[in-house]
Amino acid sequence: MSSSNELHGWLLDIYPDPAQGVILWLLDEDGIRRHRLHQPFPTAFYVHGDNGSLRTLWRYLKSLSLPVQLSRVEQQDLFKEQPLPVLEVLTETPCAQEQLFHHLKTSFPDLTYYNADIPLALRYAAQTHTFPLARCRVLATDGGEIEALETLDTPWMIDTPPVPLLVMVLTPDCNPDHKEPVELKVYLEGKHYLFPFKEERGLLIKLRALLRRYDPDLLLTVWGDKWLITKLHQLMEKHQITLPLSREQGRGVERREERFYHSYGRVIYRGPQARLFGRIHISTENTVMYHDYGLEGVFEMARVTSLRIQTAARVSPGTGISSMQILTALRQGVLVPWHKQQVERFKTAYSLLQADRGGLVYQPTIGLHSQVAEIDFISMYPSIMEHFNVSPETVGKGGANGTFVPELEMTIDQDHRGLVPDTLQPLLEKRIKLKQALAGMNPKDARYLPYKAQSSAHKWLLVTCFGYLGYKNARFGRIEAHEAVTAYGREALLRAKEAAEDLGYRVLHMYVDGLWVQKEGASKVADFQPLLEEILDRTGLPISLDGIYQWIAFLSSRPDPRVPVANRYFGLFQNGTWKVRGIEVRRDDTSRWVKNIQLEMLNLLADAPDAGKLVEQLPRIHTLLQTRLAALREQKVPLVDLLISQKLSRTLGEYKVLSPAARAAAQLEEIGKHLIPGQRVRFLYTRGKPGVYAWDLPERPDPGAININRYAELLCRAAFTILQPLGVEEQTLRWWMFTNAGYGAPPGFLPDSCSQEIPLLGDLFSPAPHLPPIIL
Amino acid sequence: MGRTVSSITQTFLKERAAFARFRRALRSSDQRVLDDLFASARKHLSAASYASHALPFETFLLSMLLEEHKEIIRLRQEVAEIRHVIQQ
Repeated sequence: MSSSNELHGWLLDIYPDPAQGVILWLLDEDGIRRHRLHQPFPTAFYVHGDNGSLRTLWRYLKSLSLPVQLSRVEQQDLFKEQPLPVLEVLTETPCAQEQLFHHLKTSFPDLTYYNADIPLALRYAAQTHTFPLARCRVLATDGGEIEALETLDTPWMIDTPPVPLLVMVLTPDCNPDHKEPVELKVYLEGKHYLFPFKEERGLLIKLRALLRRYDPDLLLTVWGDKWLITKLHQLMEKHQITLPLSREQGRGVERREERFYHSYGRVIYRGPQARLFGRIHISTENTVMYHDYGLEGVFEMARVTSLRIQTAARVSPGTGISSMQILTALRQGVLVPWHKQQVERFKTAYSLLQADRGGLVYQPTIGLHSQVAEIDFISMYPSIMEHFNVSPETVGKGGANGTFVPELEMTIDQDHRGLVPDTLQPLLEKRIKLKQALAGMNPKDARYLPYKAQSSAHKWLLVTCFGYLGYKNARFGRIEAHEAVTAYGREALLRAKEAAEDLGYRVLHMYVDGLWVQKEGASKVADFQPLLEEILDRTGLPISLDGIYQWIAFLSSRPDPRVPVANRYFGLFQNGTWKVRGIEVRRDDTSRWVKNIQLEMLNLLADAPDAGKLVEQLPRIHTLLQTRLAALREQKVPLVDLLISQKLSRTLGEYKVLSPAARAAAQLEEIGKHLIPGQRVRFLYTRGKPGVYAWDLPERPDPGAININRYAELLCRAAFTILQPLGVEEQTLRWWMFTNAGYGAPPGFLPDSCSQEIPLLGDLFSPAPHLPPIIL
Repeated sequence: MGRTVSSITQTFLKERAAFARFRRALRSSDQRVLDDLFASARKHLSAASYASHALPFETFLLSMLLEEHKEIIRLRQEVAEIRHVIQQ
C-alpha cells in the first residue's frame, strides 16, 4: 500500500483525462516543485422527458454496454415548484460524459438535458471549492492520486499573496500581419534571448532547452494564438523536433478556429486559440481586455469564475458571469439546463410599451458649465438585482413578502433568495471593498495596480450580468427580470433627480446610473454629501461622488447644433484629470496624430485657472494648430501616426459601396491576406484612387502620396469639437487653420458668449444657439 | 437589436418623416421654423420615453409647446428688464 503525502501549493491547471478522470497541476509552496495529481471523477448528467422516451433511452443505453450507472432520481429545476423526475446518467470520467452526451443529443434530440455541457473546472469547483490559483492542501499517494483536497482561501479575499509563477515571454519582433517576423524574442528570469527564425533547427533546439531547463508555468506570448504557436508547429513538423509546449507529456496543443459573431449590432472577431495542458498559455492579442487589466485581471477573472486561467483569458465576460451562475446552481443542487427554456410570458400591448425600455438617458444642457459634480450609483444594475432580489425565478412570483416593481404590473418574491443575487453578492461586496480601499490609496502603493486590475475585471462581469438576464441564449435568463431591473433603474434615477432638485441642485444631465448636478456655491466634496445621503435614503442603493469638475462641456450633435447628445462631453476634474466621452480622442478609428493634437488642446485648456479664463488659451491653441498643420504639409509626421484603424463590418463581397476600410482590405486580399468581419484593417488616406493604402501591404507607401487635405479636415473636426463649447464657430476655426490669418479673428466671428465669464445655461432659459436668421 | 418596441428616437424620427410632405410644401422660411419646432421636441425625448404614451406625437407636441412657453417667459423677462432700464 502506498503512503500519503501532504502537499501545500497553488492550483495551476485542471483538465479531464480519459483514463485518470481529472488532472490537477499544483505549484508547490516552495515555488520550485510542480505536482501532477489525478483523481477519479465520475460525472453525471440528467435527462428529462416523458416516461416512454426515457424508457427507450434507458434500454438504448443498456444496449451500448458502456460503464454507466442509470437511476431515476428527482432534482430541482430552477423554474419549477416541485422537484423534477429525471434520469441520472453517471459515467466514469468527465471525458466519457462528454462523449456520451455528444452522441445522445443527436440520437435523442427531443429530450431535455441538464448538467450536460459544464466545463470540468466548474464541476470540480462545485464539489471542492477550488478555483485557479487557490491555495490548497492535498493528501496524495506516491503515485499522485488525490485522497483529499482542501481549499485554504476563497476568491473573495482582496489581499491574496502573489503566486510565484515562472513566466516565459515569447514575442516575434514585428506584427506577423504586417510582415514575416525575423526574430523571436524570449524573456525569462530577467534574461532575454534572440532567436532568428531563419535558423529553424537552432531555434527549436534552444527553445526546447529553455522549456526543459526552466519549465515555466506560463507562456505569455504576443500573436501566439494567431501566429506563433502555428509557426512553431510547422517548424516542429518540418524538423521532427517536439517542443514540450504543454507540461503534460504526450499532450500537444488544443486548437480552436477563429470565428466572428454579431453582438448588439457590432461584429466581434475571435481569433484562433491555442491552449496547453499543465502550462498556461496567454496570448495578449487574444485575451479579452488584456490592455485594460493585464495578467492580474486575467487571474482575477479566473479566480472569481473558477474557469481555467487559459479559458478565463479568452472568453467574454458574458461567459464568465454565466459560469459563476452555473457554479451557484451546482452548489445549490439546482439543475443547469443545456439550452434556455424560459420563454417570455404573455403581455398586453400596453404592458409591453411600459416594460420594453432601457435606462433613462437625458439630453444634457449643451454648453460649458463650471463646478459640476458627477454622482453615480455604484454598479447600479447588479446592486438592484442584489437589493431587490431580481432573478429569473423570483420575478412574477408573489409570496407573502412579494414587492411590486415600479411602473410594471409585476411582483418579486422576497421569501427565497434568487440565484442571480446569490451569485452577485460576494462579487459586489468585493468590488465595494476594493473601491473603498482604492479611494484613499496612494497610486504608488504596491497594491494600487493589482486592485485596479481586479476591480476592472469585476466591472466587466457586473456590466454583463445585467445583459445576461435578457439575453436570448442565457441559461438563467428571463426577459421579465431584465425589464424589472431597468424599471427599478429608472425609478432610482428619477428619485435621485427629485432629491437633487428638492435640495436646490440643478440637474444638468442624467445618464442611466449617473447624474451631473450643480449648485450655487457648491464646489467641495462636503457640499454634495447631503445629496448623496438623501439619494441613498430615497433609493436604498449605494451611490458615490465620482468627482467634481472644474468645468465640463456637453456637446451638441454634429449635424444639428441645436440637438444635444447624451454621451459626448469632456470635463476637467478638480484633481486635474480628464473625463472624456464620445469625442475623437476616445474613438478607435481616430489617427494617433489627431488624438495627440486633441489631447494637446485639452492640456492647454487645463492651464486655464477657471472656466471663465478658457478663452484666454485660444491664441495658444491657434498656434498649436498652425504648427501641427505645417508639420503635416512638410511631411514631418511619421506615417504610423496617421494610421486609421477600422473594423470590417462584413465580408468584402457584401459591401455595396466599398468603405475606405473595405478598399484597404481588398488591397490585402490581392496579396493573399484574408481578413474576416470583425477584424481591424489599418490604412492611410492617400491622394487619387483608391484613396487608401493598406498598412499591412509589404511595401511602405510614398509619404508624398498622403492625402494632406483629408487629414487636415479630420483635424479640423476634432479641433471644432473642443472649441465649439468656447463659442468658436466652425468658420472662424477654418480661418485660423486654413488661411494665414492670425489669431485676431475678424469681428463678428467670435460670438459674445466667448467673452462672457461662463455661458451658463439655465434650467429654464436656454439661449438659442447661433441659428441662421429666420425670415417670416 | 432585439427590441420589440422601437426606441423613442426611432419613433421621433418616424413621426418627423411622416410630415415630410407637409414640410416640402411649406415656404423655405417656414420650413426652418418647423425644423426648430422639431428640434425643440427632441430636447425632451427622455421624458417622452419615460411617459411611454400610446400616442407619442402628443408628447412631442407638448414638448414643442413647453419650449415655446419657455421662450415666452424668457422674452417677457427680457422685456421687463429693458423696460426697467428705459424707465431709469
